[in-house]
Amino acid sequence: MAEQHTAADGKHKASPNAGGSLHGNSRTNAVGGGGGKGGLSGGLAQPAGWQSLLSFTILFLAWLAGFSSRLFAVIRFESIIHEFDPWFNYRSTHHLTTNGFYEFLNWFDERSWYPLGRIVGGTVYPGLMVTAGLIHYVLNLLHLTVHIRDVCVFLAPVFSGLTSISTFLLTRELWNQGAGLLAACFIAIVPGYISRSVAGSFDNEGIAIFALQFTYYLWVKSIKTGSVFWSIGCCLSYFYMVSAWGGYVFIINLIPLHVFVLLLMQRYSRRVYIAYSTFYIVGLVLSMQIPFVGFQPIRTSEHMAAAGVFALLQAYALLQYLKDRLTKQEFQTLFFLGVSLAAGVVFFTIHIPIIASVSEHQPTTWVSFFFDLHILVCTFPAGLWFCIKNVNDERVFVALYAISAVYFAGVMVRLMLTLTPVVCMLSAIAFSSVFEHYLGDDMKRENPPIEDSSDEDDKRSSGNLYDKAGKVRKHVSEQEKAEEGLGPNIKSIVTMLMLMLLMMFAVHCTWVTSNAYSSPSVVLASYNNDGTRNILDDFREAYYWLRQNTDEHARVMSWWDYGYQIAGMANRTTLVDNNTWNNSHIALVGKAMSSNESAAYEIMRSLDVDYVLIIFGGVIGYSGDDINKFLWMVRIAEGEHPKDIRESDYFTPQGEFRVDKAGSPVLLNCLMYKMSYYRFGEMQLDFRTPPGFDRTRNAEIGNKDIKFKHLEEAFTSEHWLVRIYKVKKLENREPLEHKLRSIVPRQKYTSKKTAKRKRGHIRNKLVLKKGKKLNKK
Amino acid sequence: MLNATLVHRATPSKWGNAGNSSMNLLKNMLVEKVEQMMEWSSRRSVIRMNGDKFRRFVKAPPRNYSVIVMFTALQPQRQCSVCRQANEEYQVLANSWRYSSAFSNKLFFTVVDYDEGADVFQQLNMNSAPTFMHFPAKGKPKRADTFDLQRIGFASEQLAKWIADRTDVQIRVFRPPNYSGSIALALLVSLVGGLLYLRRNNLEFIYNKTGWAMAALCVVFAMTSGQMWNHIRGPPYAHKNPQNGQVSYIHGSSQAQFVAESHIILLLNAAITMGMVLLNEAATSKGDVGKRRIICLVGLGLVVFFFSFLLSIFRSKYHGYPYSFLIK
Repeated sequence: MAEQHTAADGKHKASPNAGGSLHGNSRTNAVGGGGGKGGLSGGLAQPAGWQSLLSFTILFLAWLAGFSSRLFAVIRFESIIHEFDPWFNYRSTHHLTTNGFYEFLNWFDERSWYPLGRIVGGTVYPGLMVTAGLIHYVLNLLHLTVHIRDVCVFLAPVFSGLTSISTFLLTRELWNQGAGLLAACFIAIVPGYISRSVAGSFDNEGIAIFALQFTYYLWVKSIKTGSVFWSIGCCLSYFYMVSAWGGYVFIINLIPLHVFVLLLMQRYSRRVYIAYSTFYIVGLVLSMQIPFVGFQPIRTSEHMAAAGVFALLQAYALLQYLKDRLTKQEFQTLFFLGVSLAAGVVFFTIHIPIIASVSEHQPTTWVSFFFDLHILVCTFPAGLWFCIKNVNDERVFVALYAISAVYFAGVMVRLMLTLTPVVCMLSAIAFSSVFEHYLGDDMKRENPPIEDSSDEDDKRSSGNLYDKAGKVRKHVSEQEKAEEGLGPNIKSIVTMLMLMLLMMFAVHCTWVTSNAYSSPSVVLASYNNDGTRNILDDFREAYYWLRQNTDEHARVMSWWDYGYQIAGMANRTTLVDNNTWNNSHIALVGKAMSSNESAAYEIMRSLDVDYVLIIFGGVIGYSGDDINKFLWMVRIAEGEHPKDIRESDYFTPQGEFRVDKAGSPVLLNCLMYKMSYYRFGEMQLDFRTPPGFDRTRNAEIGNKDIKFKHLEEAFTSEHWLVRIYKVKKLENREPLEHKLRSIVPRQKYTSKKTAKRKRGHIRNKLVLKKGKKLNKK
Repeated sequence: MLNATLVHRATPSKWGNAGNSSMNLLKNMLVEKVEQMMEWSSRRSVIRMNGDKFRRFVKAPPRNYSVIVMFTALQPQRQCSVCRQANEEYQVLANSWRYSSAFSNKLFFTVVDYDEGADVFQQLNMNSAPTFMHFPAKGKPKRADTFDLQRIGFASEQLAKWIADRTDVQIRVFRPPNYSGSIALALLVSLVGGLLYLRRNNLEFIYNKTGWAMAALCVVFAMTSGQMWNHIRGPPYAHKNPQNGQVSYIHGSSQAQFVAESHIILLLNAAITMGMVLLNEAATSKGDVGKRRIICLVGLGLVVFFFSFLLSIFRSKYHGYPYSFLIK
């Protein structure tokens, strides 16, 4: 009860925060605009001070709102690691903090993929673990003794604040400060990003989005300034990104694309040359330092676009140099030859990874776009429109970013994550330009900064730098005289409705976060009709049982989904886990699960299995259990052992997969079925249903008389969600199934009579008893 | 069916009695049949059969070749779209066999259309199309000689696997490469190139920002309204309720969508974006104040009305979503 109260409290706290920051934000636009003007005209220092104070406050509030709206799971349940992959990350981080960095890089994990083992150090992106380990180290150095688990749980929410700050910086470079603040607020609460960064989801994406945005910010900065300093910063940030997430490929393709398009638009300059050359060389060398990446950057096709653009840029720079030396005719022929050749090469290299990635068939419906981005998905095209209409070097970048990210998000639903930041930035631009025009008074109409910046850009590209401040000011005063505003009524209506839409966005974000993205999936919750909550903690109960009651070196067989959790929570050796690198090993486990008991026993003995763990949801109606996943086990097993396992054997003749009496006999006698439904036939869940009624599949099970020969039940959790069986050791000898034929021992005594005199008798002769009638009729 | 098997069983005894001359006759008959089949299959990779031909070449002995038969209904009035897809796959398979190096007279691909051989369908007690059956060289078809279409599907690779299982003839499926995409691309490139060449003196339009912005927005709208999903999953345009004939354009679940639905969403998104742009235009453009006020109100109306409409569609699809705005 108390817990629920706090949860509701948290929800309330989160939404006004978000709303409040938005309000504050829109005020800044007005004040900021006015302040900028005041600084121009009067040279007063104070408004600028106010401006930065407000910016700091808003960013801080955005961080706070983002942090607290990610805490639903922690408040409702407790501070635990979620799902599957985070458990592996947590285990590796734990290994890192206890054994040190070098030990971690050389870590050979003999507790997974028994008996093969796994080289962990060389097959992970270490950025996440190193970050968490470093934070833990620093905190302990300051005598703040925090458990590494808490660092891991709260890492993603903390990094969401850093993400919103880097989004602010990037948007400020692209447009103006007001848009930057709006973008920071948007990305703090947008569900598309929260989905991968709630407290407890300790995964690569949580820190990678920060690295992505920060790298882009530094790239835009280095393109703008053309200084090696910013470029090197960009490389370091890129290095961090490479160490954190495989999505770094997006950066190493987008930045070359930006440079390429700039060349096509004839926006080549020394700044571009310096920025890209530095970035490519230093970034390449740095990225190859990550053991898991190794020599991929110079081998694989998805990195070739970067190399091609690098060569093209060098050639282009050479041509620019030659332009002064050669005659016009020679130059033109050389130029066209070079450019067309290089462009062709680059085009084909860029094309290959895009084709390859289309093969992922997980496209996105419009509903998931709307669900994850709400109003931002309808308004960000407006921001894109403004950016293209007022184009300059860095806006080319954001346009390319938007188009490529929206394409990838459309092809694959998981890549919504990379789309979210750019949507936030562009939407912020759209909203901020509306607020700029409609929030201020009519009396002092501001000069729209959009025009200003594009003017500036045009001047810069044409190379004429003359004093523009005076001219612009004059322009403004002319405008003021010539025009009259739209009137306060219309302005306030527009402002109010826009704020209303933003408020709805904040409410939507809170609702989505609370309902869709805050379930840890290790602990399940169900709600009764009166709203009270039942917590089903079977997973942890069972894993803890394993940890306490089994031998330290016991080997547990389960389907691969639960491998990381068993290793993390129960600390026992597993056969297969979520890092599905060895298909034949998985197929062997699948074959054991789908064979009959004695065949499975052979496999389990050859794999040294001590315990078998399965998930069974028939009692509470949990649909993600092993029987529902069973066909996958059969399919994978069939792929490797087509002679022993055939998928069609597990269907009824009508082609249905059913567990009741009509189900196929092979299914009713396979190991998985027997382990799931052992003793289930005796259990009557309620009075309306017969005993042995499976709630998940709504069927009465077909085989209620299950007996084991080589296994015995070791543990079943409270709601039967997890069942653990012990594999018996070989007995001295297997007893025969049938009775031995009773042979009457031949008498030792042999008759001395001769054959002639021997009286014969009939064996098993019926003895008739006289004196009784069978029928009395 | 019964008839044919009787004849089949009866023949060996007949041979024995009749001696050499009838053996020769049968041999001649077999050679003739094989030649006829070879001739047909050299003309077309899939042999079309009617009732008589089917009985003579597929059902009746003597045979030393296997026959794969597709029973189908390809006439347009039958409205069997599955049949057409299955037929394409079957043609691909038959062509791969016809032009493979292993081509021999041991296996033939035939087709029986319902409108040409309805009697065959009745004879085999068959009431669904398409059906694939294998008639082995010896004996009558068993249960496994009917292809399990429901479970495996009718991809030619699966068919080839099934044939290999039944007849020991391995067919490597060779799909003719689809040139239409690359031809279209080449056409487009040449068209654009030609246009550029014709207008080489006046290339201003390349620097037209509005054009580029429009193109970018088109890509964005196409993606955010789920056109890629339509492209990959291929949903129907809209759903017509067979009972009362009502057409629903919006799919009831949040996991799927109709093509019509995604077009509606595309228009709504575009309208909202246009509203935002108009709001901005109204404030920045120079001109008559009254006109600008109207533009501003129109922009605001577009944003607010269409957004609430979008929200209500979302609400109808995502059950349990509590919020709405203006429109329920």
